[in-house]
Amino acid sequence: MSNVNQRLFQDLSDAVVDMDEDKAVAKAHEVVDLGVDAYLAIEQGLSAGMERAGVLFDEEEYFIPELLMCSDAMYAGMDVLKPHLRLDGVAEKHKVVIGVVEGDTHDIGKNLVKIMLETSGFEVTDLGRDIPPARFVEKAKEIGAGLIALSTLMTTTMDGMAAVIRQLTEEGIRERFKVIVGGGPLSQGFADRIGADGYAVNAADAIRLARSLVGVDVRVETGAAA
Amino acid sequence: MSPDQMTPLARLSAYAAGQPIDRLPCVPIVGNTAARVIGAKVGAFRGNGRLIAKAQVAAYRLFNYDTIRIFTDLYTQAEAMGATVHYPEDETAYLAAPALKDISALHRLRPADPLKDGHLPHHLDAMRRAVDAVGSEVAVTGAVTCPFTNASFLVGAENLARLMMKDKGAVHKLCEITLETSLAYAEAIIDAGCTPSLTDAMSSMSVISPRQFREFSYPYLKLLIGYLHSRGKSVTLHICGKTSGIWEDMVAAGADCLSLDNDASLGEAKHAVGDRVRLMGNVHPSAIMLQGTPAEVRQATLKCLGQGHDNPKGFIVASGCSLPTETPFANIHAMLDAVREAGWPPRRE
Repeated sequence: MSNVNQRLFQDLSDAVVDMDEDKAVAKAHEVVDLGVDAYLAIEQGLSAGMERAGVLFDEEEYFIPELLMCSDAMYAGMDVLKPHLRLDGVAEKHKVVIGVVEGDTHDIGKNLVKIMLETSGFEVTDLGRDIPPARFVEKAKEIGAGLIALSTLMTTTMDGMAAVIRQLTEEGIRERFKVIVGGGPLSQGFADRIGADGYAVNAADAIRLARSLVGVDVRVETGAAA
Repeated sequence: MSPDQMTPLARLSAYAAGQPIDRLPCVPIVGNTAARVIGAKVGAFRGNGRLIAKAQVAAYRLFNYDTIRIFTDLYTQAEAMGATVHYPEDETAYLAAPALKDISALHRLRPADPLKDGHLPHHLDAMRRAVDAVGSEVAVTGAVTCPFTNASFLVGAENLARLMMKDKGAVHKLCEITLETSLAYAEAIIDAGCTPSLTDAMSSMSVISPRQFREFSYPYLKLLIGYLHSRGKSVTLHICGKTSGIWEDMVAAGADCLSLDNDASLGEAKHAVGDRVRLMGNVHPSAIMLQGTPAEVRQATLKCLGQGHDNPKGFIVASGCSLPTETPFANIHAMLDAVREAGWPPRRE
């Protein structure tokens, strides 16, 4: 790969880490103008930057405000690059349905997980917040998602998570989906009790969990296909 | 289990004075679980101070813990300033929409009048009734949501997070207005014969950095606490989630007691700030209190007691945060019983 490309990818990555939306857009336009592969620019530039931001979050250098600003820069660059993706070469991505369960409107945690999942090469359908259990099941069936990710910050709404799993079981399709849960009041014990496939303590952990549950290293797989 | 020998008020004042007590103060933070004690639906609390008081007093009489806290949800002040709160029939209310769609509407925001706006008058009514019923034996507190947290309910948490990076002036302006609401509400609570109890969920390190806390939350918290001190009130400050990086600031803001969540270590807090503030905490509200067995509650309670009992400025055995509505009564009893069993000075296992 050329040094020019490497430099551009590094600039895109830095723009995300530096929360610099304007720079992310400008560098994305350079990618397009120079005819550089948009997929590589997203993966090795913008997504790599978001991963670095995630590491800074883990290390308590960055907090939620910084992470949101980083993701704003990432998505701004992505908007420029997406129309230039060559669809033929890109492998089918693992699909995830994510949302905050009914009765809760706290969605910062869910949004962070969504961002990091997208960064890691998942195709994420975000139902939003205050979502009844049946909607998760319907949507997962409809789009053929392999993973359902449930979030809540409230002890009052934890039962909604169990309801999703109960419905999958009742419909006899439990084994078609991996269900992961996360949020302030939860614990591994709770996840085990309701029969979830996994519990994540934070966004970075959710990504590790999602990757291991779908059974492949998503980045390597999609990267090789590009 | 032998019954308590002292009333909560007598216990707390003796404890503060270093005199003998029968057991450590203990506060499982009962919120809407009180509805279950009187067989009411949580939604029935809406706009009904009489029912809130009845439930909270009944819960206190059932469990004999050491502080009554009039609290249904975090949003009463935000609602009184224009936020939309959704009230499910039998679950805790939640924020449906912030007061402002956009920060450009900031100029339309006004501080709430606690005697008129939203459900604040009903909560004040509940406080007065609870004080009338049991105020001679137990402290009745009224939950006050702190300025920064309220600001997040008024513009939305994500919006506020971005504003902190992009438009600091707007965040300060917002917090100035929410501070006015908190001050007015705190004043009304004290006038009702109660003690304000501060909750600042969004000021947590699980959300913002210690630097951001110092810039956007601390100044308003300090003014609020300063006012409470001027009215002769001791201040308990609860911040959810991770807080180790801001304990010093919570102390500097003037808090007399830090109420710690499970993501904080009582032992570390004791060493860091225990010579200057009382600590309370931190049995896990969901993993232990909601989902555990009474035996697990007992074990977790004694573990907290072991960590906190020798805190130089004192210790209150408590849950890390408000209890989930469906927390089994047996678990709340088990927490109190563990503290009774340990006695004072605590017997070692």
